[in-house]
Amino acid sequence: MKQFKLPDLGEGLQEAEIVEWHVKAGDSVELDQLLVSVETAKAIVEVPSPRAGVIGRCFGEAGDLLHVGEPLVEFEGEAEDSGTVVGNLGQASGQSDLAADDFIIGAAGSSRDAWAVRASPQARKLAERMGVALDGLPGSGSGGLITDADVQRAAAAQPTTGEALRSVRRTMAKNMARAHAEVVPVTIVEDADLHRWPDGARDPMVRLARAIARACQAEPALNVAFDGARLSVTRHQHIDLGVAVDTPDGLFVPVLRDLANRDAEDLRQGLARLRADVLNRSIPPRELMGATITLSNYGTLFGRYASPVIVPPQVAIIGAGVIRDQVVAWDGQPAIHPVLPVSLTVDHRAVTGGEAARFLKVLVEDLQAAD
Amino acid sequence: MAEQSTLCMVEAINLALHRAMADDPDVVVLGEDVGPNGGVFRATVGLHERFGFRRVMDTPLAETLITGITVGMAAQGLKPVAEIQFMGFIYAGMEHLISHASRLRSRTRGRLSCPMVLRTPHGGGIHAPEHHGESTEAMLAHVPGLRVVVPSSPRRAYGLLLAAIADPDPVIFLEPSRLYRSVRQVVEDDGQVLPLDTCFTLREGQDLTLVSWGAALKETLEAAGRLAEQGIDCEVIDVATLKPLDTATILASVSKTGRCVIVHEAARSYGPGAEIAAVVQEQLFHVLHAPVQRVTGFDCVIPYARQEMAYLPDVDSICEAAYRTMGDQP
Amino acid sequence: MPLSVRIPYTRYLDDRGQALGELPGWVDDPELLLELYRQMNLVRVFDQKCIALQRTGQIGTYASTLGQEAVGTALGRAMTAEDVLIPYYRDTAVQLQRGVEIQDILLYWGGDERGSAWSTPTAAEDFPICVPIATQACHACGVASAFRIRQQPRVAVTTCGDGATSKGDFLESLNLAGVWQLPLVFVVNNNQWAISVPRSLQSAAPTLAHKALAAGIPGEQVDGNDVLAVYDRISAAIERARAGKGPTLVECVTYRLGDHTTSDDASRYRPAEELSEAWKHEPIGRLQRFLHQQQLWDERREQALQQELGERVNAAVEQFRAIPEADPGAAFDYLYQQLPACYGEQRDALLARAATMTGGEHG
Repeated sequence: MKQFKLPDLGEGLQEAEIVEWHVKAGDSVELDQLLVSVETAKAIVEVPSPRAGVIGRCFGEAGDLLHVGEPLVEFEGEAEDSGTVVGNLGQASGQSDLAADDFIIGAAGSSRDAWAVRASPQARKLAERMGVALDGLPGSGSGGLITDADVQRAAAAQPTTGEALRSVRRTMAKNMARAHAEVVPVTIVEDADLHRWPDGARDPMVRLARAIARACQAEPALNVAFDGARLSVTRHQHIDLGVAVDTPDGLFVPVLRDLANRDAEDLRQGLARLRADVLNRSIPPRELMGATITLSNYGTLFGRYASPVIVPPQVAIIGAGVIRDQVVAWDGQPAIHPVLPVSLTVDHRAVTGGEAARFLKVLVEDLQAAD
Repeated sequence: MAEQSTLCMVEAINLALHRAMADDPDVVVLGEDVGPNGGVFRATVGLHERFGFRRVMDTPLAETLITGITVGMAAQGLKPVAEIQFMGFIYAGMEHLISHASRLRSRTRGRLSCPMVLRTPHGGGIHAPEHHGESTEAMLAHVPGLRVVVPSSPRRAYGLLLAAIADPDPVIFLEPSRLYRSVRQVVEDDGQVLPLDTCFTLREGQDLTLVSWGAALKETLEAAGRLAEQGIDCEVIDVATLKPLDTATILASVSKTGRCVIVHEAARSYGPGAEIAAVVQEQLFHVLHAPVQRVTGFDCVIPYARQEMAYLPDVDSICEAAYRTMGDQP
Repeated sequence: MPLSVRIPYTRYLDDRGQALGELPGWVDDPELLLELYRQMNLVRVFDQKCIALQRTGQIGTYASTLGQEAVGTALGRAMTAEDVLIPYYRDTAVQLQRGVEIQDILLYWGGDERGSAWSTPTAAEDFPICVPIATQACHACGVASAFRIRQQPRVAVTTCGDGATSKGDFLESLNLAGVWQLPLVFVVNNNQWAISVPRSLQSAAPTLAHKALAAGIPGEQVDGNDVLAVYDRISAAIERARAGKGPTLVECVTYRLGDHTTSDDASRYRPAEELSEAWKHEPIGRLQRFLHQQQLWDERREQALQQELGERVNAAVEQFRAIPEADPGAAFDYLYQQLPACYGEQRDALLARAATMTGGEHG
């Protein structure tokens, strides 16, 4: 405050006579420093300063009578202004984005672009799949919205150099590119020695499925969904194995559901049915979705080891090559055993080397068992 | 070379008033306590000393009258800037705003017009007495022929007030009292207007559009910051002019993000958020990934000071609405 | 005690048109007297025509000035072209006197905004008819404030009825006019009735002019049926204001000989005897008798005048009827100085909807 008035002296006393000033104009005072002695009807009272400051003016001389509420001293400086007549206005403190200098008048550039090319989410996805550019595409929907029909029409009208990829190959191209951009792949390989298998048994699919299921149970870290944008991991309740099937039309990956809870015969029938449905193109789309881990058995074709591509949100893929007879060291002696080359590729963003190695160990050991 | 200073919002408003009055002799200021006292929030400090009673008038205590004489002055081609001390007291002037200011041009087919500005502190959160925390801008935004403007920063307050004063039609300028002194910014006294009828994009983002105005933008921007750390990239739009609404900017943003959350202090039902949500779903229904959300004050009387902060939209509520919106898969 | 303060009352002619005392000097000008007489008759002829047009559905609800021709004519004549009128809604007489065309007045009551958009230079800045009661008083304070701020020798004149004097806007305006000493004249047309509420139920103030006392401004009464008194006292008030001597309230004591509007039936609430008694005091007959006594008027001239006025009004009505319908888009075109883009679609929709309407309702 600027002016300090003679405070209440207690006991109903209304006035006091100035006895002696302890400060004068120009003096710098501290809080509680004694300013003046005043005499009431009852006693001499010392009056302390209510604040620190510089005395601007002292009211009255020794011997003058002052009433409670009359000015005693005035401090130098501006009267403090609360800047309001009600309430409290928060004073500026710390950072606030409202003080940021940058703001765009109207819409951001990216928003303007999006408005110019308004499309339903469905149409966008379709356009992406069909390789149709949305820019400049006329929209027949309300307010110029680009619809599926518009995209289809544009796709049909598009000239292509070379043979445009369609359907499955197109999807493959896109998915592989996206996976490559996100996934951090690490591959570890091993050979599974199948000499304990019963004679004549050469179809490894069911054994592979079972081995993978056991490996997943031992190392569940490879049977998860990983969200790279949010850096989150979702454990799956089931093991749903994507089984890559090569066809004249391209690669299909139908899903063998719930590996852990099915016996060998069930798995065999399931695999057979999936393969048949894929080959005669009668497989429903939902049977191609939702794999939690994938097996690529290129051993039906050719090749030994590979580093197959993981498609997010999966974090692991198992590759199985051609079963070959190989010279191995057995009991200190060379021997010829059937060997299945196994490759395991994991996404190192979500899976550690140790988890991968342990998974592979369980898988290979299960494969190597007699049954 | 225009002078630059670091100002809070009420100082920026004061700067704009000085500027407008110096540049145009037709600009006059009137209201209660605007003269030697400089306004109860000090928005008109120094004007009376500089321009005298002829142009800076302390009126009697009569909001109906203040609003009415402002209409009359404006009809004569003055540019009156009237101050109503708090939005809670604007109601006495509503008849003049709705029955006269908003329609003088229309009902005289342009023979007379009403280039007035009515300034008033707006919104809650300053622990003031009852009736001092009103946020009833929807009532005014509903009226054809008015403009309703809400600044959210010192720089924007300066530019928008200059634009309001220069505008040939009536403008209600609602100043968020919670922001009056809470933020400081460099403001150049260059006399430059900012466009009315236009939203401002305060933050560019890809995932979600947050729309707000006034003091609620403080919490909205804070929420955007928190959401960014969690991987949700928000675009923040400052509506600024509630009426006429710049639907183009809002629609462009939501056509990109497909998700919209509107934040306002005013009560939920029939609030301005309802209008914005209606426009967004009308135009972008097939583009939206999730329904438009509103985070608002409640449909109850704004509580007196002690419980006031529970009424106002907070950062947590805005984030929750954002999570809900993001969680909705098309 | 303020209530015993004497409020001046001015009347120069009695009901029989006899001078009650010395007349003001300007009465010696026969041209002015005849002009006032002709104009009052124009008002009455036109007024009756408007009622007829409403009854036949050619205009909408109309507020008649029957019995108050002296107030409007005199006050309009006392203003100069530089002065500004801020009327209420029973001001056909003032508007005509200010030069607003009959067609425009008919357009307004006929439900067309163009009726307030007149291009008459002498009324260029006059406010349109005001429906929300007494709000015009605040506008008048604003207009007068502009004169004060710009230091112009112009005067704002505002009218209202007896009912309006009860409203806050009126009292707040009187108060401001007093404290800011505005160049403003408040003319109260006390015609004894606010729709069905009589003067005795409107206020306990002995006269409505008493309300000026609370505002610290001079208040006086005139016999509103005596055009000489009305013209004389309002002229004086206007000149006081122009000379920087501040505002005045002039209460014109008259009687509403017609209904409140064409939608009202006053016989529901006022006795026939009161009405017939009031007719004895009406202004046009009174001035006519005075003019006869001054040898300035006779029967032949009266007939010629009535003929001329009838033709003039009818011709104007014909012109009004020939005015084509307004462009419906005007509702948006004059919403703001420049229509914001966001309303373009609505404007088109309005035009489309208007185009589907066949004919149009009148009245």
